[in-house]
Amino acid sequence: MKLAFTLNGRPCATEAPAHWTVLDLLRDGLSLMGTKYGCGEGVCGTCTVLADGRPIRACLVLAAHARGRALVTVEGLETEGRLDPLQTAFAERGAAQCGFCTPGMLLAAKALLIENPAPTADEVRDALSGNLCRCTGYTKIVEAVLAAAPGSG
Amino acid sequence: MREALDVFAKLDGEARFVAGGTALIPMIRLGLVKPDRLISLNRLAALTEIRLLDDGMLGVGAMATHAEISHDRLVQAGWPLLAEAVKRVASPAIRASGTIGGNLAYAEAASDPAPALMCLDAEVRVASHAGRRAMPINEFFRGFYEAALEPGEIVTGVRVPPPPKGARSGYSKFTARSAEDKALVGVAALIVLDGGRCTEARIGLGGVAPTPVRARRAEATLRGEVLSNAAVRAAAEAAAAEAEPLSDLMGSADYRREMIRVWVRRLLVALRDGTR
Repeated sequence: MKLAFTLNGRPCATEAPAHWTVLDLLRDGLSLMGTKYGCGEGVCGTCTVLADGRPIRACLVLAAHARGRALVTVEGLETEGRLDPLQTAFAERGAAQCGFCTPGMLLAAKALLIENPAPTADEVRDALSGNLCRCTGYTKIVEAVLAAAPGSG
Repeated sequence: MREALDVFAKLDGEARFVAGGTALIPMIRLGLVKPDRLISLNRLAALTEIRLLDDGMLGVGAMATHAEISHDRLVQAGWPLLAEAVKRVASPAIRASGTIGGNLAYAEAASDPAPALMCLDAEVRVASHAGRRAMPINEFFRGFYEAALEPGEIVTGVRVPPPPKGARSGYSKFTARSAEDKALVGVAALIVLDGGRCTEARIGLGGVAPTPVRARRAEATLRGEVLSNAAVRAAAEAAAAEAEPLSDLMGSADYRREMIRVWVRRLLVALRDGTR
């Protein structure tokens, strides 16, 4: 199955078996290992990527459905070698512990900030619901997202 | 759509239609279904429409996602109960992929939109190679994960009558672990009060029986009554009594029955007092 879509701002033309999910395509097809395989059932959130600016679970969306869409993975968050403000805030505020949930957290947070540049803490928690951190470091994650929000004081 | 339905009719083996994939892909991964072909409904633009129909009903295409429905101004203004219920489906990423048609076809007992649509007396529209038909949503759920769909039939959308004038409505979702869980008990309710007396009462429940259900006996106890605390408690009691909850890893049948009593009462009180 031939596929053409935008990946991290660049056109991407590739082939994939018809039964592959976006997660299979990213990790096994394109060797982009930033997106993690957690539960495989859409529950844990670590495989979250953006499709046309909206968060999706890469493990639940068929690769065929990526056709013509714009995907952003954690590898695409930086621009010209500079980390996204979310990444900087996560690093500076200790919002990553083991790091396994971090790519999904970053992209779920990115989707929120695209839609709402000045979220409240409750809105951050709501946007990150369904992204599980087994280190339970939620407080620092919420703080980091609030700090990175362009509309925050 | 014609083409998708015709393709299905021509295939032998186990073909499956796929909408958002949020239910089907995990089922495939778990080996619960083993399709040899998938027919995607994703590019059918006509199925994503949300619009006001000529007869005043709301038309929602099957491929409209929960996120699209919850953000839709028309739905928010005229059908707030539906907007509220779809906003409680799982997590933001699931709402961005999952569709209303897929949700109904999956026939999940703990569906969030289903109890709301049952309260609104929605109609489910389906189609296959052989033709189209429609049925009241209250006849759509047949059993545990079983919808009234024949092989080769897809949900094409729902039509939702406007709520009665002056209706107060809300959806409460109780989850045992975290906010994005399936509902342990989901309660949709719509009431109309006339000088304190209840002239209309509809209660839809998710997670309390093998399918989403209307709590008809509880509704009947409310109609014509003044909504005193005692009347509300009696309705909640009736809803708990008529439910047929199942036990699962999230909670026992007894616990669910107790939670029906609590959440039906709380929602009715909040609607009565205008505190939500």
